[in-house]
Order: sequence, then C-alpha cells, then structure tokens
Amino acid sequence: MGRQGQIWITIICIILGIILSAQLRTQAGIRQDIPTKRIEEMASLLNEAESERDKLRLQLYRLQAETDEIMNKEKSIAAGIQIDLQQARMAAGFTEVQGPGLLITLSDSTRVAQTGQDPNLFLIHDEDLLKLTNELKASGAEAIALNGHRLVASTEIRCAGPTISVNNTRISPPYVVEAIGDPAGLESALKMRGGIVETMQFWGIQVTMEKKDQLQLPAYVGSHTFKFAQPVDKEAK
Amino acid sequence: MFWPLTGILIGMIVGLVFPFSFPIAYARYIAVAILAGLDSVFGGIRSNFERNFDPVIFISGFFSNAVFAAVLTYIGDRLGVEIYYAAVFAFGVRIFQNLAAMRRHLVEQIRDHGKKRRAAQ
Repeated sequence: MGRQGQIWITIICIILGIILSAQLRTQAGIRQDIPTKRIEEMASLLNEAESERDKLRLQLYRLQAETDEIMNKEKSIAAGIQIDLQQARMAAGFTEVQGPGLLITLSDSTRVAQTGQDPNLFLIHDEDLLKLTNELKASGAEAIALNGHRLVASTEIRCAGPTISVNNTRISPPYVVEAIGDPAGLESALKMRGGIVETMQFWGIQVTMEKKDQLQLPAYVGSHTFKFAQPVDKEAK
Repeated sequence: MFWPLTGILIGMIVGLVFPFSFPIAYARYIAVAILAGLDSVFGGIRSNFERNFDPVIFISGFFSNAVFAAVLTYIGDRLGVEIYYAAVFAFGVRIFQNLAAMRRHLVEQIRDHGKKRRAAQ
C-alpha cells in the first residue's frame, strides 16, 4: 500500500466520520428516541420548576391583593376604576398596542407533490395557524395579530374553503403573524426541535421569522355583545 | 485497512464532541452524499492496493461525487423523479465491487507471502 495514499484516505475518512455522526444525530432526532433516563431527569426538573411557579403565583396573588388595597386607600375610587378599565381594555385587545416582538411570514410550499403524496400536506391550514398562535401564547406572547386582525378571546381561526376565516374576515396566504412578547423567547419556542416550524418546513412551507424592536398591533374592530352570558354576582351568593 | 477505520472513528468522535446536526429537510441529501463519500473512500483504498492512487483524482472525486449526488437528488425531488434510487443503486453496486476487488488483492497478497516463505525453506 502506498504511504501517500493512506494519509489522504485517512484525512478524507475523518471528514466522512464527522458528517456521519452529524447525520446519525439528525436521524436520531427524527426518530425522537430520547433515553428514558433523560426523560426522568427532565420530569423531575419540570416538577421542581412547577412547584416554584406555584409558590411564586401565590406570592403574586398576595401582592396583588395588597396593591389593590393600597390603591383603593390612596387614590380615589374613580381613578382606580379608570386604571382597571384601561387594563381590561388592553387585556381584551380593544386598544392598539406596541412593543418588541416577532414577525412571522408563512407561504404555501412551492414544492410539487410527488405521485401518491397528498397535495394538502403542502398547504397552510387553519390547524397550522392555530398551532402556531397557540405556541406563541404558550411562550408568553401578550398580543397577536394575524394579517392585521387582532386575536381576542372570541376570535376564530377556521377553514373557509381556500381561505381562512379570522374575526369573520377571510384572509389568504401569505399569512403574516405579529406577536408582541420577548422576541428571542418567542422565536426559540417556535424553532424547538420537532416543533411547529420544523414540521411545517418539512412539508416545504416557507416560514420566515424576524425579531422586531417595535411592532404596532391594531385594536380589535368587531363588536362584542353578550346575548346569553350574564355576570355572576359574587356578593349575592 | 487500519488507518481509514481510525480516521472514521476520530471523525465520529469529533462530530460527537461538536454537537451540530443538519436540518431534517436536508437529511435525505446528506444521506446520499455520505453514500457517495463512502464509495470514493473504498475506491481510493482499492486503487491504493493496485498502486495507481492519485490524490487529486481521489479528493476531487470525493467532494464532487458527494455534491453531485446531493444536487441530483434535490433536482429529482423538484421534478418528481426519484433519482435518489439511482444514486443509491449506482454507489451501492460500486461499493460492493470495490470491496470484492479489495478482498481479491488481500487474498493474493497473503498467498504470495506464503509462497515466498515455502520457497525460502
């Protein structure tokens, strides 16, 4: 065997080995076989974090009660109501809001479905948008708008033929999702392995994410009347 | 035979230490590229046995085969033709042919060695 040949073959083999182990890791990621030990470890970490969260939540309730008390004492009742109203309107999505966040653009796949493949898999469905907005809410988005329609408690995201119905208005691709919240946190939640964005990209759906320092979300424009629901009077109980 | 194996082992260890992976969307293309790379390495070892190893041909072959295999697979996906199978078949057949040739060379070498010994006795 030639000496020179051996050296070159060995160098190439090292490169091949690096690519090989990266590919093995990718394949392992697809199969999702996380060792059970790791799962147990993570479960205990989760339990710890959850109990700490509950403790902090109790503290928050106590402090909120205290601030409410102080506010009632210090300020006139009218001013307190004004602040409450402002906050309630903001929480309900009835005011325009601005702040840092994430801008996500989704377009249907340009890939041609191969014979035997369902072309539906390459389109964006109401479910995809639901999952995406759900993930954003779960990772702490404070306000979300879809193609300029603010998502509120009564907002539907529903399949409407070739379009998607949001706030009783039909929207079509490209879908632009604006979310106010911690930009890095929102992005990493979406980019999670096996997460929503990876799944969509697997089918060739084009997803672009842009972290923004300043986003301005419109207010909910529809009306909100209650025909059936009545508030429960706590004092009467 | 010993050095290439060590090389692959070193590479895999390096790959494990630096935890990078490919996006799942590209997994198919990387797999074909790895197959092409394996084919080049076996071809290189074979030509080394036959004493007509050329480093330029070997290295250019390694990279261009890997890239072309991945690109052809990609184009096939776009066109809706499974060129993927053609690459798997072509490289697979060549890997086995090279393995067979290497085995023959090894057997011949061992036989020659034995003959020389008997002649010396």
